[in-house]
Amino acid sequence: MWFKEVSKDSDVVISSRVRFARDIKGYKFPIIMSDDEKRSVISLLENKIDKCKYKLLEMKDIDDITKLSLMEQHIISKEFVPNDLGAIITNEDSSIVAMVNEEDHLRIQAFEAGFNVDKCYRKLEEFTDELEKKVEYIKNDKYGYITSCPTNVGSGMRVSVLLHLPALARIGLLNKLLDQAASIGVSVRGLYGENTSGDGYMYQISNQKTLGMSDENIISGIKAIITSIIEQERKAREILNKDNIQFVDEIYRAFGVLKNARVMSEDEALKLLSKLRLGVSIGIINDVSLQKVQELMVDISSNTLKLIKKQDFSRQEELKTRANYIREVLN
Amino acid sequence: MKCQSCGKREATVRYKENINGKKQEIYLCSKCADNMGFTDFSTMFSPMFVSIPEFFEEPVQKKCKTCGYTLEDYSKTGMFGCEDCYKTFEDTLDELFLKFHGKNRHIKLPKKKVNIKEDNNQKEIEELTEQIQELIEAEKYEEAAVIRDKIKELRGK
Repeated sequence: MWFKEVSKDSDVVISSRVRFARDIKGYKFPIIMSDDEKRSVISLLENKIDKCKYKLLEMKDIDDITKLSLMEQHIISKEFVPNDLGAIITNEDSSIVAMVNEEDHLRIQAFEAGFNVDKCYRKLEEFTDELEKKVEYIKNDKYGYITSCPTNVGSGMRVSVLLHLPALARIGLLNKLLDQAASIGVSVRGLYGENTSGDGYMYQISNQKTLGMSDENIISGIKAIITSIIEQERKAREILNKDNIQFVDEIYRAFGVLKNARVMSEDEALKLLSKLRLGVSIGIINDVSLQKVQELMVDISSNTLKLIKKQDFSRQEELKTRANYIREVLN
Repeated sequence: MKCQSCGKREATVRYKENINGKKQEIYLCSKCADNMGFTDFSTMFSPMFVSIPEFFEEPVQKKCKTCGYTLEDYSKTGMFGCEDCYKTFEDTLDELFLKFHGKNRHIKLPKKKVNIKEDNNQKEIEELTEQIQELIEAEKYEEAAVIRDKIKELRGK
């Protein structure tokens, strides 16, 4: 799976994603569509997608734990989970996932591990171009692609890169940097939605503007900003790592707790794994691979864990199961 | 300099904005500036009675003819109901886009490799080409010529 892999600039960049919002000519937007109209969009798309490459799953046929796990992995939105008149279109390795009847008829996302925005874009373009031979999108000369929410009008594109920035945070430069990014029209979010500061120091950086700019310009702008943030995070890591026994100690302690704890909450696991990830990235800890840490960060979410263990469990059992799972992977 | 809103008329109004130290300048023609409610001196000193009747009339809520959406619906949900809303509320949107994106028109979208119409034509052309082959084999050249012209026409579209 793309989100567990290790790729270009993986020491700082967790994953890249590009999303296109597209709506289909002849339909109103989902917010005011009737149930029948929503079903009609689903069956239209089911007939038009290339069945060799993609499959369509209706949300009502997916079990709750799987849906919640998809939400935890930020593959579908929280609002989409209870939407029984929605559907998901996906390819074999889930590197493309489209939500049908979310805010727009189509919200297509492409994902890659590491800093791979261009690859995401190419895959997405392939999907939308292929579909456009059979389905007409809503667009016009003045506004470009028309979407339900006007903040997506124009290119309908959102480019997001998920970054791990613990060192910048620790030396106190993070807030200044993120404010700067926000002031040049880039949006910054903690991993868990709009307002959280990000427990594991994971931040999603994405473009705000979609109108009046070419896709290429939007992408090159975001890439330039990300490249400079990566450099600064690396510099901060170097500074921290220089003869700093306290810092090294903190990382080893995190590793120690992860390898020995008997109960563990998701929050705690994420905080400790964030430290471990940093330690592995800069070579303080060598007996665990970055890939393994990356996998753990995905797997310890409550519903994903249930999916792996193939059972539902109580809150208390969950804490134990999580701690056991982490110990097994790390020891 | 052309107006940044309509892109057609000459810009005569400069609008300056300073939000939290972020400065932005927008150049507009007088008509677009008017539409967006940036008043200039001439309107400030226009006879004051002109605006009074508005106080006695019920404000008319603009409504999208296709889906019935109003601006109030939009401000509640942050979303529009259908593509025609973008025509109905064009003035408001132009203003909104200018503030949010600094522009209110998109670049020309790149032409997609195959659009739906061409696709249909392509199918027809293929069928006709097959027919020509059959007619030529049957030595019916006149009929083949008619179909050849038809293909030419389809290709030219």
